[in-house]
Amino acid sequence: MRVEEILSPNEQLRVKDLIVRFYTYEGIVKAVEKAKLNLRRGETLGIVGETGSGKSVTALTILALTPPPGRVEGGSILFRRLNGSIDDILKLSEEQLIRLRGKEISMIFQEPNAALDPLYTVGDQVAEAILSHRLPEMLDKAIESLGEEVKNGNEGFSTRLQLWAYNEMKKNPKALKLRLVKRLPIIGKMISKRLNQVVREEIIELLRLMEIPDPERVVDSYPHELSGGMQQRIVIAIALACSPLLLLADEPTTSLDVTVQAQILDLIRRLKERFGASIIYITHDMGVIAEISDRVAVMYAGNVVEVAPVKELFKNPLHPYTKALLEAIPRPGATFKSIPGTVPNLVNPPPGCRFHPRCPYAMPRCVKEVPELKRISEEHYVACHLYGGEGHGEHSGGD
Amino acid sequence: MSHATSMEVKVMGSIVAAINLRKYFPIVGGVFRRKIGDVKAVDGVTFAIKTGETFGLVGESGCGKTTLGKTLIRLLDPTSGKILFDPRGELPDNPRMGEQMNDYDISSVKGKRLKSLRRYMQIVYQNPSTSLNPRMLVKDIVAEPLVVQGLAKGREAEEKVLQILERVGLAREHLYRYPHEFSGGQKQRIAIARALITHPKFIVLDEPTSSVDVSVRASLLDLFKELQKKMGLTYLFISHDLSMIEAISDRVAVMYLGKIVEIADPRELFDNPLHPYTQALFSAIPIPDPEIRRERIILGGEPPSPANPPSGCRFHPRCRYAREICSSQEPALTEVKPGHYVACHLY
Amino acid sequence: MRETPLSIVGLAIVIFFTIIAIAAPVLAPPRPGRDPYMIPRYGYSPIPKPPSPEHPFGLTQGQYDLYYGVIWGTRAAYRIGVLIIAVSALIGIVVGGVAGYYGGIIDEVLMRITDIIFAFPGLILAMALVVAFGPGLDSVTLAMVLVWWPGYARLIRGEFLRIRSEDFVEAAKAIGCSDLRVIVKHILPNAIYPLLIMASLDIGSVVLNVAALSFLGLGAPEGYADWGQLISLSRNWITGKPGDPFAYWYVYTIPGLFLFLFVMGWNLLGDALRDVMDPMIRRR
Repeated sequence: MRVEEILSPNEQLRVKDLIVRFYTYEGIVKAVEKAKLNLRRGETLGIVGETGSGKSVTALTILALTPPPGRVEGGSILFRRLNGSIDDILKLSEEQLIRLRGKEISMIFQEPNAALDPLYTVGDQVAEAILSHRLPEMLDKAIESLGEEVKNGNEGFSTRLQLWAYNEMKKNPKALKLRLVKRLPIIGKMISKRLNQVVREEIIELLRLMEIPDPERVVDSYPHELSGGMQQRIVIAIALACSPLLLLADEPTTSLDVTVQAQILDLIRRLKERFGASIIYITHDMGVIAEISDRVAVMYAGNVVEVAPVKELFKNPLHPYTKALLEAIPRPGATFKSIPGTVPNLVNPPPGCRFHPRCPYAMPRCVKEVPELKRISEEHYVACHLYGGEGHGEHSGGD
Repeated sequence: MSHATSMEVKVMGSIVAAINLRKYFPIVGGVFRRKIGDVKAVDGVTFAIKTGETFGLVGESGCGKTTLGKTLIRLLDPTSGKILFDPRGELPDNPRMGEQMNDYDISSVKGKRLKSLRRYMQIVYQNPSTSLNPRMLVKDIVAEPLVVQGLAKGREAEEKVLQILERVGLAREHLYRYPHEFSGGQKQRIAIARALITHPKFIVLDEPTSSVDVSVRASLLDLFKELQKKMGLTYLFISHDLSMIEAISDRVAVMYLGKIVEIADPRELFDNPLHPYTQALFSAIPIPDPEIRRERIILGGEPPSPANPPSGCRFHPRCRYAREICSSQEPALTEVKPGHYVACHLY
Repeated sequence: MRETPLSIVGLAIVIFFTIIAIAAPVLAPPRPGRDPYMIPRYGYSPIPKPPSPEHPFGLTQGQYDLYYGVIWGTRAAYRIGVLIIAVSALIGIVVGGVAGYYGGIIDEVLMRITDIIFAFPGLILAMALVVAFGPGLDSVTLAMVLVWWPGYARLIRGEFLRIRSEDFVEAAKAIGCSDLRVIVKHILPNAIYPLLIMASLDIGSVVLNVAALSFLGLGAPEGYADWGQLISLSRNWITGKPGDPFAYWYVYTIPGLFLFLFVMGWNLLGDALRDVMDPMIRRR
């Protein structure tokens, strides 16, 4: 497959016709049904949807982490790698995926204290991320720093030992002799000393970037000693430690206080500029979406029903669900109303368009035919039979 | 030492009032489990809720709003202070209160009297998935208050359950099902039905819409409003969602670290927040409109712990207008405009 | 939900034994006027006799009919097993429930008592108790109950601690429910499931322990239809005859096999039940 042709030069990620199903005792849950998304380099794509929309499952599938009993049954997820090549994430082997996760694509979740291991200090956890993916760089720094010492005349046993060890590690970090030497009682500790120092400095710098006050103290704290907002910053630090190309954020501020949420959103915006990452931000809060997204995708019951730039979406919502969602938000001074009915059971979803039982504009066609995501105007795509559209949404968003 | 507020609480015509209410949770530590401190969840709160009104209570986590709600209905025992409650909603005027206060003070009632009061004050919890017993049928869940209070049983109870279920938008077929068979919004309606079946007068709504989908919240609010009119209810509506509070409340109080810092009616509060914390709070809400870029007041520092509140005005370490007096003297809640109370040295 | 083949095997075994236990009077008709649990003797010779058409499993030392013994032994196993578990579970629920619900000093005292009992290895303690009470199946039952209830108490206490802080428990109090009602109607129905699983796993262990006590001569009297007792009777015949070590294989193999299969069947079933309850696999 000549994948090169399918992603345009400024596209970072494209999800094409993704199908994810969960095989449970109660039946087969058709959680994601032919979802289409794409993400441009450097942009923030907001995905908004409620329970059962499939947004979280989609995000996890981008990292090939679909939780069991879920299975990917179709579609592709094309991603432009750091080296420029394009891969279908769903076709990568587990080894290749390990190199991808944490390094080129990172994810942050809703509950920070569930994402952090209570038994290890903050420093240990950030170090793990750095050492997994940036080891050569850290080794170089350590070697350089040792080299400085040698120049200054300090050529003790410890220095020479570390220099030797680090050079060996650069060649092959898993070498047997290294592993054996690391086990020796005093020498083993000596070897890691300089490396640990270098990594620690890197971590403190990272924490400072996260606007964590007093990073030298925080580095040695345990997660439970920190507040929710601080924990989430640590999680973000771990996610950004390796400057990923894509950051997946699954409701990262939903469980935080409003004032803390404001701080974190601000932080994410500034970090994005600094790190140049593209972000997929998932939430059900339209206010957050309005603040942080460049473009928005609306998901309902496993389908992507509308995609548009954020201002366009709020000014001119096309899909009946998007319209209803906007009307359901309480705004000071305005009335708001609910959407009648409930989210459908995805074991037996309604035929045709999954929103038709709750749609005030439903037509006979809506029960029979699933609407395709079609381009309505420059950048604005809808999956609804109310709109004719020009052709099929194959290149939804590509220029 | 903190003083009682100088606010003259007008309790006439109210259904429930708190006078200098405090609720502390002891912190135990050490080998012998001695008390080494207190979490001062509610630290001297005085206010009254008028009969028939919806009193909104906002604040962030740790401010004590849930504790206050639960203490008002005696799910928790207050550490000190008074709770005045009149099921008929007719607390008498202040002068007469002096003599009769003990009749209305429920802060230390126990046993049978407390149990009989429970039918008039109820609570709806935030998460209907955990507030309904997963192993009980809907009909038993909703009928239980009647059974426990000795108001009805058997056939008669089932009839009443049916009536109240219809009022909240459910039907006969839902009687013999388990909670997990329902959606979030429906479960919350079951919880509401349970709270209403004894025809209470005062209901604490503890973030009743937070665990429910956005698209369904409005219908729940409509339900609350309708039930309030039809059944003559008074609500304490606790939430961290400021827009929700604005939509439903007649008056709103803002809590910070165990104290009320501002009270006003919603429009006034939104248009004209006086307390610096309220201002920061409102500026932090993300607006669902990409055209508007709000000027954010970013609060410095971390929310302090209620075990060790700052001296004087509790907000002073994070307040951009803090002056010397703020760290030594606690401001009293005073009425600076008709109906608008603030506890801040700026005023 | 019986998806794994092992759980089907377990279920099959358990059903098999249940049928035998129920059908015991039909499969091995007791002699009228006598206690059906006393095995009929066909002589007094100490030497076992191999299987024959009249005695399908042979005769043990003392000429007890082995077939009759294992059939009624099944019933006895159920009887005593279920009795012990039921009573210990009841005690465990009460003790664990009170400790878990009220906490504080009550919890401390009750848990220290359970700790003391846990400090002793179960079988040894049971043996000591039986010796103190005097041998016999009633003593065995009593001793086993005393040894077994702390396990359930711990389990129930843990569940109570977890559940009592749930919203719906507080909601029940908000309605005016008394403590007793909260415990019985609200917490207990939610807490009981792990106990049921543990109890079903336990019946195998209990029967095994009772068999051990009987084997040691502390339980059922000689001639009683009890698997442990039957194995005890085979003690002297394990080495067989000179030149034919397996001459008397039937005397220990058959009751041993019954015991082994019974315990294994219940264990497999218990595993299957636990898997079904496991939320990860259920994926609600």
